[in-house]
Amino acid sequence: MIQAGVSGLVSGGVYALLGICLVLTYRMAGVLNLALAAVGAFAAFAMIELQEEGWPYLPAVLAGFAVGGAVAVVLGLAMNRWFGESDTPTRAGVSIAVLVGLLALGSRLFGGDARPFPAILPDVKVRIAGVVLTAATLIALAASVVIAALLTAMLGRTRTGHQLRAVAARPVTAELLGIPVRQLTTAVWAASGLVSTGAVLLIAPVQSSQFSSLSLLVLPATAAALLGAFRSFWLTVAGGIGIGVLSSLIGDNERIAAFSNIIPFVVVVVVLCVVQRREVWDAAR
Amino acid sequence: MRLVSPPGAVGRSTAVAMVAVVAVTLLPLGLTSYWLFLATSGVIAAFTALSIGVVSGRAGLISLCQLSFAAIGAWAVAWLSMHHPDLPVLVLVLAGGAAAVPFGLLAGLPALRLRGVNIAIVTLGCASVVDTLLNRYGIPGVDDGIIVTRSGVFGDDLYYFWLCWGLLLAVVVGLALLGARPTGAAWLAVRRSERSAAAMGLSVPRAKLTAFAAAAFVAGLGGALLVVQLGLAANQSFGSFPSLVAFTVAVMFGARFPEGAMFAGAATVLMPELLRRVDVPADVGSMLFAVGTVFALRQGSGVAEALRARASRRRADAALGRSAAISGEPAPVALPVAVPVAVPVEATRPGARRAAAGSARPGPADALEVRDLTVRYGSVVALDAVSFTVPADRVIGLIGPNGAGKSTLVDAVSGFLPGHTGDVRLGGRSVTGLSAAKRARTGIRRTFQQGLAVPELTVGQYLRLAAGRALPRAEVRALLEFVGGPPSDLVIADIDVGTRRLVDVAAGLAARPRVLLLDEPAAGLPADTSELLAARIAEIPVRFGCGVLLIEHDMTMVQAACSDAVVLDFGKVIAAGPVEEVLAHADVVSAYLGGQQLGGGAEAGGPGGQQVVAV
Repeated sequence: MIQAGVSGLVSGGVYALLGICLVLTYRMAGVLNLALAAVGAFAAFAMIELQEEGWPYLPAVLAGFAVGGAVAVVLGLAMNRWFGESDTPTRAGVSIAVLVGLLALGSRLFGGDARPFPAILPDVKVRIAGVVLTAATLIALAASVVIAALLTAMLGRTRTGHQLRAVAARPVTAELLGIPVRQLTTAVWAASGLVSTGAVLLIAPVQSSQFSSLSLLVLPATAAALLGAFRSFWLTVAGGIGIGVLSSLIGDNERIAAFSNIIPFVVVVVVLCVVQRREVWDAAR
Repeated sequence: MRLVSPPGAVGRSTAVAMVAVVAVTLLPLGLTSYWLFLATSGVIAAFTALSIGVVSGRAGLISLCQLSFAAIGAWAVAWLSMHHPDLPVLVLVLAGGAAAVPFGLLAGLPALRLRGVNIAIVTLGCASVVDTLLNRYGIPGVDDGIIVTRSGVFGDDLYYFWLCWGLLLAVVVGLALLGARPTGAAWLAVRRSERSAAAMGLSVPRAKLTAFAAAAFVAGLGGALLVVQLGLAANQSFGSFPSLVAFTVAVMFGARFPEGAMFAGAATVLMPELLRRVDVPADVGSMLFAVGTVFALRQGSGVAEALRARASRRRADAALGRSAAISGEPAPVALPVAVPVAVPVEATRPGARRAAAGSARPGPADALEVRDLTVRYGSVVALDAVSFTVPADRVIGLIGPNGAGKSTLVDAVSGFLPGHTGDVRLGGRSVTGLSAAKRARTGIRRTFQQGLAVPELTVGQYLRLAAGRALPRAEVRALLEFVGGPPSDLVIADIDVGTRRLVDVAAGLAARPRVLLLDEPAAGLPADTSELLAARIAEIPVRFGCGVLLIEHDMTMVQAACSDAVVLDFGKVIAAGPVEEVLAHADVVSAYLGGQQLGGGAEAGGPGGQQVVAV
């Protein structure tokens, strides 16, 4: 039981990482990026292809990250340029179209079957109080916590963080103030692409790894981001880890194992409906 | 700007539609059985597109699980035909549609709490829930090879095509009828702005749930028709990915409109067929749809909308050309001048004259009484123990410099700031605990500075929606003439922003409120029109028996329309009483006008004049 919960930590950490990216692009660019995990999956499959072409391990991984960052930056710049004046639902619609396009492109380029993903990390296991933690688990958890801490501190304390918030709140004013909007937007999207690539590479070796199923990792990640109200990085991390552990515990119970992916989602929606009972009239209409 | 469609223009689009309907009806007579099969599939796919048009296009809620509703319809049909093989096809199909409705309501429930784009996430989750359930339990009969048989005349593919096509037309007509009525108009209002929908007394939850229910019904019909057409329907037809693709296709073609949904249905079927014939893999089709969708979103309209806009422009050009030929110059665009008319008047309450603004003792005729209203945002006190009354027979001006809290006050009174303290009473009864929609239904109506009238509706439809009751045609006309508004058959999208505010005033009055809160109704109006509006506002208490609170920057207008005024500065009432006295008050002059001399006809000159105010 405990081991089952612990083995959910790796997917939990990955959901948390993806959730952080979702919150980041939503807060900084006003985009609910449903294509996020598809970008990561695209990069991961590019890495595999390169390896099969005979590239050595490390350059292939680095190239994979480069692909993820580049695709995300192209997406971000297109959003900024063509949909800078659009409302949030329109931008969400664009990300849905991009998701559809990437899913189709991915199945065209990489096929619809699961690929064996090599573990990007050495098979190190750490034993803490009788519970076995894999290197992937430790990295996923540590990365999500560190990135959440960095982002929270940066947005709250640093000059760059303030500039980013200015860009998010009033893009035109920010530009008139001489803030390098384009560079900052690029940086935000590049970060989301890189983190997403890393997250997919962490989980691909231990999960069913079709292009489509990896792309739909965005679903638990959005659930985590919803728990963080698309604002708080910490709550998102907590939500992601919670969802991962809950899924894993459900998967351990044979009677309900088939529903391990959907029960946490239903739980999140129900929790949110109860929590957000107060009528709120905000900018989100 | 298009004022009135020239006669014959509407006739022409109706004629085009009739010809198209007849053409599609006769189409299968000339088709081989293979193409007939494709044509039927296209019609069925249009149901899904139409359902997305309802929930996403009309109500503005991104739904990514419409094929899950179709799956429920298919499941229900498969189950029914397994256990009751003698049921007529039509009954099976309608049962399939009905079966999807509860699930639509279920999927719509979170939309009541989660706003905006979050609903896209929830529906994507719903799609994956239904995916999992289908993979686990499957559609009845699929594994055992038991097929749904088409009994009776619909066993013939030709008649089955006509059944699908007939049902599609019936749904289109049904949605059109619904769209002209408050139920369907409320969807558009919610998409425009949930706040303004609630301020009209519409139940936002109800609008969202009915949209989801109607969309689920339509999608369920599609799923049911599909399983009856094929006999067996595979789970994969209803998965998350097909739902995502269906959403993009619906956006690309503008499925809010019937022809858009039909284009979308046709494209869904024809695209793979065409690609197959030129030996291009089918997933290229999804990529093309994705690109087309991004393009449509960039343009701000799907294919159907773009075609309609072009047709409407051509009509307008033709109309202008015609009138230019008569008068020698382009048709002048002017508001019709209001003629005084008899408007149905609620009995004015006798003895109302006693009470005045700011009076400490509330009389029975006070429409609105605000007592110790305080609003805090964190440590900032936006409104500090504000008290005043609006008698039923007066127009009270609410003035004050920018940031004084005027709009916050209107928000709090109309129920959009549930955290406020103090008491708001309407006709002597407290409404403090009530939601915005309930306050509106009790008799507090407001307009918004931004002018949030629903662009897709005609002026008349909008007034009926706002009235919340049957509104006779004569009353609509009388209301519009009273405010000097446009003709009732104009589409609001075709009216300039200033005139839309007049429509908003008429819409507020249409509800026969006890008190009407007008937030800068004259912004964007030309001077002579706003003069006319001021005179009309002054008449509202007598004609409609309702008190008015008027927020206005234009001092001429305040002087013309109001008997009394309340002055806010930094969230506090600094003066209240008859307009002339209040405007002469030393504190008001210094706070509001920065020491500027205020003569009889002097004006602060709209928001621009605010720059003289010292902070």
